[in-house]
Amino acid sequence: MPQLKYLVIHLSLVAALILMILPLPDWAQMYRPNWIALVLIYWSMALPQRVGLWFAFFCGIVLDTSLGTLLGQHTLALVIVVYFNLNFYQRIRVLALTQQAVYVFALLLINQIIVAWVEGTLGRPTPLLAYFGAPLVGMLIWPWVFVILRDIRRKALLR
Amino acid sequence: MKLFQARGATLQALFLVVLCIVTMVVDHRFHHLEIVRSNISLVISPLRYLVSLPATGGHWLGDWFTSHSELLEENETFKAESRILSARLQKLEILAEENARLRNLLGSSRKIADDVIVAELLSVDQNPYRQLIEINKGSSAGVEIGHAVIDDFGVMGQVIHVNPQSATIILISDPEHAIPVQFVRSGTRSVAFGRGSTRQLELRYLPATADIMVDDELVTSGLGGRFPPNYPVARVTSISEDRIRGFVSVIAEPKARLDSSREVLVIKPRL
Repeated sequence: MPQLKYLVIHLSLVAALILMILPLPDWAQMYRPNWIALVLIYWSMALPQRVGLWFAFFCGIVLDTSLGTLLGQHTLALVIVVYFNLNFYQRIRVLALTQQAVYVFALLLINQIIVAWVEGTLGRPTPLLAYFGAPLVGMLIWPWVFVILRDIRRKALLR
Repeated sequence: MKLFQARGATLQALFLVVLCIVTMVVDHRFHHLEIVRSNISLVISPLRYLVSLPATGGHWLGDWFTSHSELLEENETFKAESRILSARLQKLEILAEENARLRNLLGSSRKIADDVIVAELLSVDQNPYRQLIEINKGSSAGVEIGHAVIDDFGVMGQVIHVNPQSATIILISDPEHAIPVQFVRSGTRSVAFGRGSTRQLELRYLPATADIMVDDELVTSGLGGRFPPNYPVARVTSISEDRIRGFVSVIAEPKARLDSSREVLVIKPRL
């Protein structure tokens, strides 16, 4: 069954979505990493021919609906992040995990800035410091996300 | 070939970026995308239930382990309270009857009671810039966009999205929300804006001569047609004068417990 094993990708994204809408105390809200972006970065790096821009687009629409943001707000950010990733993945794949984490921080920061920029256009400016918390946490957990998803990918025999 | 592929990806990315911007504008300005939103919400609503399970489970366990004596004590207080309330209710019924009679005499068509739907809080929206909550009753229970939502202390907000099994409520404290209000004591009408904090509403540009004092009560004025009149909204906590421009700006604290109520009532306007 060639199609069935790709369900792993969708399941990992559902898990990421659950982590995105899990209630957190107010102070921790700002440090919630963008799980969907992390998982999408991994899959578009590992299987760029499977997980591309349209995939990011649909994930973004679902994310926007579940967060109650404008339809297209997170979508725009995810499409741009995946686009960057599709251009650089061959160079990044060979790097050490810690170096990858810095690259992932840059991507998450771009993601955050685009989301905050749309909020700003709507007249709800974000405090500047709030930009950095979530991408930093995302950078710190990237190695674990990478290792876990890589093991899952190997178990599912995806390549 | 390589270059061509890259160019294809760039074109695709540009197309998707434009598409995103278009959907954002359409979503912000018009309401054509409501159907997309409600369909996707329907698909992910099991996830919402799943996510709210730990909290609900905690409540349930807490209930299970409430000790016998506590229950007895609670029961006693409830009984006492119910006696007092039923006594008051008798009086209220008489008053309501009298009121209806007088209104009939006056030929007024104002209704006295509204239909309500009892709903429970499902989740609080995670977006820190908005004040939205999700409740567990939707269009199948008769909830519609624009219905007012109250808790046992005052007005909470209004319905902005409806799905078959759930609905999204915008709280009166959301920065994009405004509610028409009236001071009980002086009768001055105004509009209360949300400020993004559950403890504050703001009334801007009141004339400096307006008769306002700290602790004045605010109720819905019923103007604008969204909120039924005379539901408690807020209490004035501070008044600041802008002497140069001759305006007064008032901060009021919402009566409803916007951040802690679990049971809410959706008010169906009777037509």
